[in-house]
Amino acid sequence: MDFYAFHLMPWPHLPPDFEQRHDSAWIWPPTALYDPARGEGLYNRYLDELEYAETLGFDGVCVNEHHQNAYGNMPSPNLMAAALARRTKRVKLAVVGNALPLYDPPLRVAEEWAMLDVLSGGRLICGMVIGGGPEYYSYGKNPTHARAMFYEAHDLIMQAWTQPGPTEFRGKFWQLRYVNPWPRPLQKPHPPIWIPGAGSLETLEYVARKRYAYMGIPYFHLDVFARNFDLFREACHKQGYTASPSQLGYLAPIYVAETDAAARAEYEPHVTYFVQKLLKGLLITPPGYTSPRSMLKILDAVKKKQFMASCESWDDLEKGDFIVAGSPATVRDKLFRILDRLGAGNLLALLQLGTLGAELTRKNMDLFAREVMPALRARYGSAL
Amino acid sequence: MEERHVDIAGKRIKLMTGGDPAAPPLLYLHSAGGETLWLPFHDGLAAQFHLHAPAHPGFDSSGGLDQIDSIEDLAFHYLDFIDAMGWREVSVVGLSMGGWIGAELACRWPERVRRLVLVDAAGLHVDGAPMQPLWDHTRDHEHMRRLIFADPTSMMAELLIPPFDDAPEQLLELGMKAAEAAARVAWNPYFENPKLRGRLHRIKSPTLVLWGELDRLIPLAHGRAYAELIPGARLEVLPGCGHMPIFEATEAFCRAVTEFCK
Repeated sequence: MDFYAFHLMPWPHLPPDFEQRHDSAWIWPPTALYDPARGEGLYNRYLDELEYAETLGFDGVCVNEHHQNAYGNMPSPNLMAAALARRTKRVKLAVVGNALPLYDPPLRVAEEWAMLDVLSGGRLICGMVIGGGPEYYSYGKNPTHARAMFYEAHDLIMQAWTQPGPTEFRGKFWQLRYVNPWPRPLQKPHPPIWIPGAGSLETLEYVARKRYAYMGIPYFHLDVFARNFDLFREACHKQGYTASPSQLGYLAPIYVAETDAAARAEYEPHVTYFVQKLLKGLLITPPGYTSPRSMLKILDAVKKKQFMASCESWDDLEKGDFIVAGSPATVRDKLFRILDRLGAGNLLALLQLGTLGAELTRKNMDLFAREVMPALRARYGSAL
Repeated sequence: MEERHVDIAGKRIKLMTGGDPAAPPLLYLHSAGGETLWLPFHDGLAAQFHLHAPAHPGFDSSGGLDQIDSIEDLAFHYLDFIDAMGWREVSVVGLSMGGWIGAELACRWPERVRRLVLVDAAGLHVDGAPMQPLWDHTRDHEHMRRLIFADPTSMMAELLIPPFDDAPEQLLELGMKAAEAAARVAWNPYFENPKLRGRLHRIKSPTLVLWGELDRLIPLAHGRAYAELIPGARLEVLPGCGHMPIFEATEAFCRAVTEFCK
């Protein structure tokens, strides 16, 4: 079992009536609501929290990419990973991920990731993502080509990393006479690849075929994770091998306090901010981004309250395991139940969420690392 | 009405035809909304013409979206279609996205277009009167109705765009397919070919620009721009009508098209 501290670096200063006055925290939240003077403190605090995860014995830290939104202020996770590469010594740096179709040409991703891998002494994990629906509004890329561009960008990056250059690349979306990146990654044949998915069979089969790792996209009901992970194992089986737990990642908001009651009292306002404000608009989906069938499945999940944004109460959040919160014993037992069921070998813990402040975030991290992580390591094996 | 599938240069295309096969042909190019079921306005046009109403690639049961990346590909597709029908020339009526395709076709191959009718047509950018976003609130059907209809509360508007939660899955799926096929060529630049403005002078076909006075999706200023840029074009405004004259001014629409293309 590997433990990762995942950070979204959210904007915690939205006005209390934000969701009444605005359609979405994505694409259109007015830039006037961002205050760079407060941003400085936040970025540094958030980076401190990820660096602290190394001290606490986490195996890795995760950063991710989102554009023009209040949910996550990392348009360039590679910049954050660069800062972390210099300030950490041991943890893996998981950039999950870069939205490949948004880079033009995606050779840029191959270059920046190679820089990070070399700079960090081979600690990089590369998350390849299509990018969220809202990002196709924000970046103007054609959503009907999203998947095809993703696959082509992947092939370009792999060619850049694994074929002796210079080579030529002739794709539908990108043509490069000279593919010849300096530097190239330290890890051979290339850094580990993680690909997130929300259950599309095409993605599951692709990840299984390539023997990459599959990360469940969060904020769905535990049943959705369980179904998708079963489908992934089945897809690997069809490829003639048994999926290793290290090929599966489970990402969840986690909060540990002294007692269950304290956990709710301390955490609820911050989760509520996250659900009501930051998740608002996450499911804005441009035409052609997913197939009509997949889209109808997602809408059905929303109708059945299997998506976190449809949660209206603490009970809703707990029942679907959208959050894992409580005393150390409660969180430990919940994670035993969840991980036994999922068989995932990577736990991506979201230990700061919404408006959760520096002090409570640290306490949460301390309690998780001291009181929960050892029990999980004992049960599922230790990487250290 | 007859419905069949025809092969157009490797694309399997749904084609509805109606009217007297001996009457002059008329090609109707539908909007991004995908009006690909036979409707009263089709009957109105089929009264005087042998009406051909194909579904664009990717719409309804038409295939071939994998061969379409740009509005130019659609223009070539309709050149192939005209060839496949064996027409030397044909009158073309296009609504919204269909009007844009008609304009792209007529400026490339003016000799193949006998008469051109552009109805609330997309394709141009007009400073100060931009086309409104169609895909920002795709699940907000009330918003959509306000964009499309002069009277969003009419029974017809409610029938054509029911509340999202009441919409049958089949209708939603058809709508998503239509949006995908339209977005393929119209996502960015948004329903616009920046080169089109400079090419419209090449249209030699007699052209009627027909516009709903109260079109909130593509304002009337676009109609004026088309009428100015296409040599000899005439603008006719349909009073009290929104973006969809085929629904909100069915008779006036059919009469105008019939008189002009006769």
